[in-house]
Amino acid sequence: MTRLLLGRLIQAVLVALVVGGLCFALVRVLPGDAAFRIAADRYGPDALTGQAAEAVRRELGLDRPWPELLLRWFGDLAQGRLGNSLVSGEPVSEELAGQLGPSLWLAACALALSLLIGLPLGLASGLRAGSGLDRLALVGAVALRALPPFVLGLVLMLVFSIRLEWLPPAGYGTWREMALPSLTLALGLAAVSSRVARDAVAEVGATAYYRFARLKGLPAGAVVLRHGLRNAGIPVVTYLGLQAVYLIEGVVVVESLFAYPGIGHALVHAVIARDVPMVQGAALVMGLMFVLLNLGVDLLCRLLDPRLGAAR
Amino acid sequence: MMLVLRSRRGALHAALGGILGGALRLAGLLALAAVPAAAEEPPPPGRTLVVVGPWEVGGLDPASNGHAFTRLEVAETLVGVDASGAPAPGLATGWTVSPDGLAWRFPLRADVRFHDGSPLTAEVAAESLRRAWSNVGPLARAPIAAITAADGAVVVALHRPFALLPAFLANHTAIVLAPASYDAGGRVVRIVGTGPYRAAAVAPPLRIDLERFDGWWGGRPAIARARYLAVGQGETRALMAESGEADVVVSLLPVSLARLRRSPKLAVQTVTPPRTRLLKLNAGSPLFSDPRARRALGLALDRAGLARVLLRNPGLGADQLFPPAVAGWHVPDLPPLTRDLGEARRLLAEAGWRPGADGVLERDGRRFAATLRTYSAWPELPPLAAAIQAQAREVGIDLAVSVGNTSDIPARHRDGSLDLGLVSRSFALIPDPLGTLLQDFGAEGGDWGAMNWSNPESAALLDRLAVLADPAARAPLRRRVVEILQAELPVIPVTWSELAVVANRRVAGVRADPLERSYGLAAMHWATP
Amino acid sequence: MMLQMQGLAGPDRPAATAWPLSRRIGLGLLALLAAFALLGPLLVDADPARQDLSASLAPIGSDFLLGADHYGRSLLARLAHGARLSFGMALLTMLSAAVPGLLLGVLAAWRGGVAERALVALSDIVLALPGLLLVLILLAFAPGHFLPLYLGLSLALWVEFFRVARTTTARLLVEPRIEAARLLGFGTPYILRHQVLPEIAPLLLTLAAFAMGTAILAISTLSAISVGLQPPTPELGSMIVELLPYYAEAPLAVLMPGLLIFLLVLGLQLTARGGTVR
Repeated sequence: MTRLLLGRLIQAVLVALVVGGLCFALVRVLPGDAAFRIAADRYGPDALTGQAAEAVRRELGLDRPWPELLLRWFGDLAQGRLGNSLVSGEPVSEELAGQLGPSLWLAACALALSLLIGLPLGLASGLRAGSGLDRLALVGAVALRALPPFVLGLVLMLVFSIRLEWLPPAGYGTWREMALPSLTLALGLAAVSSRVARDAVAEVGATAYYRFARLKGLPAGAVVLRHGLRNAGIPVVTYLGLQAVYLIEGVVVVESLFAYPGIGHALVHAVIARDVPMVQGAALVMGLMFVLLNLGVDLLCRLLDPRLGAAR
Repeated sequence: MMLVLRSRRGALHAALGGILGGALRLAGLLALAAVPAAAEEPPPPGRTLVVVGPWEVGGLDPASNGHAFTRLEVAETLVGVDASGAPAPGLATGWTVSPDGLAWRFPLRADVRFHDGSPLTAEVAAESLRRAWSNVGPLARAPIAAITAADGAVVVALHRPFALLPAFLANHTAIVLAPASYDAGGRVVRIVGTGPYRAAAVAPPLRIDLERFDGWWGGRPAIARARYLAVGQGETRALMAESGEADVVVSLLPVSLARLRRSPKLAVQTVTPPRTRLLKLNAGSPLFSDPRARRALGLALDRAGLARVLLRNPGLGADQLFPPAVAGWHVPDLPPLTRDLGEARRLLAEAGWRPGADGVLERDGRRFAATLRTYSAWPELPPLAAAIQAQAREVGIDLAVSVGNTSDIPARHRDGSLDLGLVSRSFALIPDPLGTLLQDFGAEGGDWGAMNWSNPESAALLDRLAVLADPAARAPLRRRVVEILQAELPVIPVTWSELAVVANRRVAGVRADPLERSYGLAAMHWATP
Repeated sequence: MMLQMQGLAGPDRPAATAWPLSRRIGLGLLALLAAFALLGPLLVDADPARQDLSASLAPIGSDFLLGADHYGRSLLARLAHGARLSFGMALLTMLSAAVPGLLLGVLAAWRGGVAERALVALSDIVLALPGLLLVLILLAFAPGHFLPLYLGLSLALWVEFFRVARTTTARLLVEPRIEAARLLGFGTPYILRHQVLPEIAPLLLTLAAFAMGTAILAISTLSAISVGLQPPTPELGSMIVELLPYYAEAPLAVLMPGLLIFLLVLGLQLTARGGTVR
């Protein structure tokens, strides 16, 4: 256990160093004048002028040597500071805090919903592998995965906001606004997690001990609960653990469709505006979250299957 | 639409089958139970009015985000704008100018208080304006020598006469804020303005919550609470209006409008703001230095077709720089820009261009190929660029479309690497279009206007207009400027634009503002059944 | 990015028959799509970039077999050219992610030690870097061009192939029959080719099937945030984005490119997993 924690800690530090340095290097070498990019984001397309860009350049000292800027970022990081956004001038940590919270909520809801939808469906189709339900579920999963998330989101809006008038199409603040974006994400996730669970269950169903248990006369339900769920759980947890990162980073389009504040949006904005500290901060937070999630997945897998811990 | 909905819903259910399942239906029922069925009943007086617009809330600095606070009537400027778009009294009761045109006096209203209760004094207003003057924005471009306070008035001293000063002071960067708005370093840390609403919570990037300010000098607005939500996607904004979640929605996609107009619970208004989508040309490049090449490209454009298909309003084809709604600058009898492919080919041939093997023009072994740069901050620009690309190809001009960042246009203007850019230019930032024309078509051109083009006559006319106050004397000068721009085409007008405002019928008193200065919250009230 | 660990459940068992119905359906679908993508652009003589504003959103069957988009461009021509580009690009992206991923994964499991730890650390760091960031940054070097788009997607996608190949190979290598083969003196290449590869192939095929769908969707996601290929390039993902505003007037036009992506992923899935639907 200590080794596991220590390993993840080292990974976290490594991630921080690499993410910080890499983002800095990449954003610095990108073509395009950073002062103009920042000014465009600050003042908007109508008021952007060359004078504004020059003012930004003077104010931010963008022409200072890069080692100085990078060292300062690492120095700040060591003291727990992420610097100030070049666009708004606000501390990056404050800007991120405002967007990370909604992102985490959205991710948590989407994960929970996808489990609610994907697990039972995966179990059911795995137990009856090859049946009509299994085939239908495959087609459904492929259809959901072949639909870009913004199309799926639009369909959900049309159904739940316009046709049924149950939920608002956009906004944020209460659970009502969160329902549609998290459902959009959850359906995409459930499409795959249901297949992962189905494969795992089908695998278990084909093993000797499962067939033996059935021969013993145990009802299918009891066997699944005892052997199937536990065995199917590990791949599903592993899969969802990795997907949680996607939930946090890859949801930009869902965020912008539903006008939901989130860190994906913040990251895209920051890359476009060449807001180096924001890019570094957002990427760092996502990287650390990935490390944390991996730790959680490891621990959960051990809980599900104690042999994993012993094997190492 | 109904049919579409049903078929989509059917498809959804069929495809998802069991996936949606009971969990979803349960969630839906819960949602149904939680939502009061108030859609058709008169709204309770304490209801929050929801305004939805496309602009994100960037921060508090007036230079970058002042427009959010003027539109929501949190902060006000010394000079306002009347219904015709001319400067009008705002926080100042009027203005007087010294005979030499160098000293302007703006006496302030007596009874104005900030949201923190402190009174508006000339000292406070002058200090606020001095900050705007030293920041990025139009005031920094005005020939201002000093801004001071004297006997209840703000006094602006100029280096040279400048008739546009009141219009410049109406710009959103010149909002007047209380001293409590700033921290010790002079940064704006909260918005304490004088408007009818105060900002109860500013949550960048998407939300501002407003509360009525009872001490407003202009009276007591009917609506007590309002919220601004930034919704970037046009489709989502339309759905916000359709679903009844939003009370007022500003800026809608042209394709959504016909559908929204059919809805009995919505009222749709459209106005023509002084905004033109235009092709900015590098007149210094070998391709476009010949005015005949610029005219030919202009003749290749099917403006009415573009406007009909992409903007859903054929009347928006820009046959001159300014739309008819811009009084004084639109010249009704000006020969219009039209489509004439034969004439375009003739002009190009006259300029020495001959069609090559693939139909693209060539001259001295050089192809007529250029990059058309545009940006996606305005969602209509990339589709317009793709259509312009196809139309230019018909006269043998090969354009590669590059959709990039807003900053590409001014940055490439500066380093000279721009061939051609499709931009959306607003002439309303300063209420008098002259303010923008001075910036775009002066002797050195401008970031969003002429590039490597100058015309001594129009530059002199613009400079003359900037000092001339008499309306009768200004009219012929304005006309001459527009004529020169139409003949020389340093920029090629493509389409004008349309601003749509959709209001739910439960709100009354909604007025679309073509200058996009204000949503007019203070004039709105809940409709009584 | 989106699709990892599809086959964590372990290797799928060999099929009872090599060509069950579902696999034949899958192959049939793929053959049809390939024919459409390869022959369509040759057979449809309409220019996918030719606009006719007077035919904007023309319905199916009129002058245009599958209707026209908002610029009055033939949707049939755009779908055919788009299928060629999208499927080709997806295949290329998948291959350039799968081949290095597979090789490095097997290498890591086979060699173990420092090599394995270094590769795992590298893959973890790539995973920890937001994939979107990689693509956005690469794209910023040459906006609208094909190469950075495809490079960025491959860079984000190879990791899952690597992880699956490594864990599966590692598990296979400790199995007695491979130990036995090694003791019998079979060389490394032989064992890898004849004993390891057949076992991990079905898994990787499943991954590859989803990865191709992911690649096309990623392009459409990128065009939705206005980074992607230049107009008027017909590409299935960006066609969906372009046509989306017209969803109420021409729903079929929006759905058709999506349908092609759906059929591709379905065909790949059925082919890759044909033997596993027991």
